[in-house]
Amino acid sequence: MTNLIKFEIVTPERTILKEQIVSITVPTTEGELTILAHHIPIVSILKPGIIQIRKDGGEIDLMAVSGGFIEVLRNKIVIMADTAERAQEIDEARAEEARQRAEELMKNIEKSDDIDFASISANMAKELARIKTANKWKNIKHPHNTLNSEKK
Amino acid sequence: MAKTKEITSRIKSVKSTKKITKAMEMVAASKMKKTITSVLKTRTYSNLSWVTVVNLAKSLNNKHEKHPLLTSRESINKELIILISANRGLCGSLNSSIINKAHESIKKYSEPNNIQTDFILIGKKGSSIHRHGYNIAAEFEKKDIETFITDVRPITQMIIKEFLSGKYDKVMLAYTDFINPLEQKPRIKQLIPVDTSSEDQYLGATGKSELLKTDLDYIKTKEDKYLHDKYGNYEYTIEPNEQEVLNELIPRLIEVQIYQAILESNASEHSARMNAMHNATISANDLIDELTLYYNKARQSGITSELSEISAGANALN
Repeated sequence: MTNLIKFEIVTPERTILKEQIVSITVPTTEGELTILAHHIPIVSILKPGIIQIRKDGGEIDLMAVSGGFIEVLRNKIVIMADTAERAQEIDEARAEEARQRAEELMKNIEKSDDIDFASISANMAKELARIKTANKWKNIKHPHNTLNSEKK
Repeated sequence: MAKTKEITSRIKSVKSTKKITKAMEMVAASKMKKTITSVLKTRTYSNLSWVTVVNLAKSLNNKHEKHPLLTSRESINKELIILISANRGLCGSLNSSIINKAHESIKKYSEPNNIQTDFILIGKKGSSIHRHGYNIAAEFEKKDIETFITDVRPITQMIIKEFLSGKYDKVMLAYTDFINPLEQKPRIKQLIPVDTSSEDQYLGATGKSELLKTDLDYIKTKEDKYLHDKYGNYEYTIEPNEQEVLNELIPRLIEVQIYQAILESNASEHSARMNAMHNATISANDLIDELTLYYNKARQSGITSELSEISAGANALN
């Protein structure tokens, strides 16, 4: 009996990752959820945060997600994200810049309407998630990844 | 001699026009390829979200609750059509055919039933629908370079709000379907209420091109492979509850459909332009051949008349 699960994360624009994994931790609106093989089918809403994947061999991969859905089937997990980015792809400086911009906007927003406020605070939550992901990524030892980057 | 000069200058101008049409053809071809790959990339998402919506809708139906975005209304008084057109011309009959299609379908289905129609326009050329006397509720800009899903979000929010408030009873989507580089078809599709009961083999996806392969098999294998086990049917656990997940998920599905329709229309626009420009290049070539023939004739007759003048002069001297 294998303990690997098929995993796929897609956004409306592209497929981010498709891989066999051991476990995954996702931020849902009901709290954090870790899924291992043979989990019961479940559908849940994601909130902005970090998705952590453990691959075969203990390697860890991180992703920033801005919201979406997770659907767990029998030994298959599908995440439909609004936007998602792998930790390696995040440009930390730019994420920080974007967050500051959102923060500025939020301060000056009082006069604008609710919709603007909602979209800006959503944007801020997204940028925060990206920054957190990038920071967490730096603090993890990744023997495989550093090897890879040296090869490049 | 004056005649040959005129002809050479015309040949020159036709040649430079040909250069432009040739370049436009190549640009359109590469843009078309790009758009098709991005339509393909959205396919996975729309397939997956469609299946989830259908599954959730089923489990809601079992509880005799229906989601407002999934329920058709009994009496329809007002409908909204989202019309996607190109920003520019020079693409054959693409824009006029989608506008005519929308007009015809209103004449056929809506007017006899006293349904009033409003339009939302995406793309500049659609504004000529105004000539038919329809009310335009809003106009959204279509980007020339690359469309992102975030560009569609305000449109989706607006139509959902107006549908739920009861202003419109039905929302349709008019777009040009890319079938292959030589064939594009104007199409009108129902967007809201989302029809989960119909055996729509194209699922939540817009676009029926063979190139784009809708994944009917995927859906079937998904049920067999991932949802049933040997003890019988699996039930989903749904967190927080069906209503809330649907509230989030259906807008996404609508969004991705509009997004696909825009990409689909873009691909059609580029391929239509590619064909139009290809034809223009061919006629430029024909014109150049014809003009060259005239030029040669004019030159030849010029030489002949000069020669005869010279020989006549020589004869006169003798």
